[in-house]
Amino acid sequence: MSFVNRFSDSGKTPWSNQLNRAFITRPSLTLRVLSSPPPLLRLKQGWCLLSELSRRESESQKMGLVGETIDSIKSIQIRQHLTQAISLGMIVTSALIIWKALMCVTGSESPVVVVLSGSMEPGFKRGDILFLHMSKDPIRAGEIVVFNVDGRDIPIVHRVIKVHERENTGEVDVLTKGDNNYGDDRLLYAEGQQWLHRHHIMGRAVGFLPYVGWVTIIMTEKPIIKYILIGALGLLVITSKD
Amino acid sequence: MEEEKKAESTNKNVKKVNLLDHNSIKHMLDESVSDIVTSRGYKEDVRLSNTKLILGTVIIAVALVAQFYNKKFPENRDFLIGCIALYVVLNGVMQLIMYTKEKNAILFTYPLEGSFTSTGLVVSSKLPRFSDEYTLTIDSADPKSISAGKSVQFTKSVTQWFTKEGVLVEGLFWKDVEALVKDYAKEEPKKKK
Repeated sequence: MSFVNRFSDSGKTPWSNQLNRAFITRPSLTLRVLSSPPPLLRLKQGWCLLSELSRRESESQKMGLVGETIDSIKSIQIRQHLTQAISLGMIVTSALIIWKALMCVTGSESPVVVVLSGSMEPGFKRGDILFLHMSKDPIRAGEIVVFNVDGRDIPIVHRVIKVHERENTGEVDVLTKGDNNYGDDRLLYAEGQQWLHRHHIMGRAVGFLPYVGWVTIIMTEKPIIKYILIGALGLLVITSKD
Repeated sequence: MEEEKKAESTNKNVKKVNLLDHNSIKHMLDESVSDIVTSRGYKEDVRLSNTKLILGTVIIAVALVAQFYNKKFPENRDFLIGCIALYVVLNGVMQLIMYTKEKNAILFTYPLEGSFTSTGLVVSSKLPRFSDEYTLTIDSADPKSISAGKSVQFTKSVTQWFTKEGVLVEGLFWKDVEALVKDYAKEEPKKKK
């Protein structure tokens, strides 16, 4: 009770001064005091006001610190993520550029193709990869060519069996047939077309790799595997750097 | 509340690494070094890093243009060759930058605010593949300037800063790095005198 009376004379006594100082310098202590129900709380207004002020100050300090750290973390994260994204982009685009360079070097739209059917067995089996090359050399019988037929989106790999060449202009009429097929390709050509011309032909086969094309075949026939693979690759890149 | 705050801060700041992964150890140490140096008042110089980011974006843009250009193959052949050449050149520039300017650097800084007697810092670190010796070097960003300090470095085993579980003992590490930074700062006025 004497405690209370002392405080009531405007807090100028040395004891309450000390206490005030203590509360200002250790606001966290005040918070602890306020949260648990201590006997000190049941005091006069002055004390409560003082502790309320220091509590607000400490809270705003804490909020300021937290806000600052969040901001700094976000900015570091942004920069790091941007760097990672750009490195990933550069790897992907380097693959793209290599493909384009191959296109320019071999002179054909699609320098690497996969054999999808068994019409050229026993030479090329399903799942083989063929390297193509297109040049201005005349097309001769016996060459294995890859050609596009109007109306079909998938190119066909067969052997040239007949060539009719016009001497003055150099234009050619070409007939092809798959080694493993019974008849020639006139059934595959567009309606009314009997011969292929140079602009149908994408390139000559100049090299091959067995079995590697199965990956492409599987990814095309079951696209979900493609997504799984790309997802796994992306995950690997992201987790390996960190 | 005090205990709560302390508990909260240790939960947030426990830096754990997998001790078998040498890359992540180096990464964690480099990050801490950046924190320490910036907390001493040096601001980070992000100009080089920004240049590389912009260069990377331009490279990606060139590749995308080459891919999505409207003309089909035989007509766009020359354009394509141009794009490929540009791509190769830009990549070469990027590699040149990385090779000459960066080497082992992990942080570039501006000079201290309001100081005329110091230049920016270049902090670089090395942790060889199968070794546990971490070398931290502080150099001046501008070796030809008069107020450039001498290069200082220290080499210590990483076992001094990590516990067996892989937790980084920040106090010890901060002490070592701050001592190095002070060392560098002391070297400069000594040189002038």
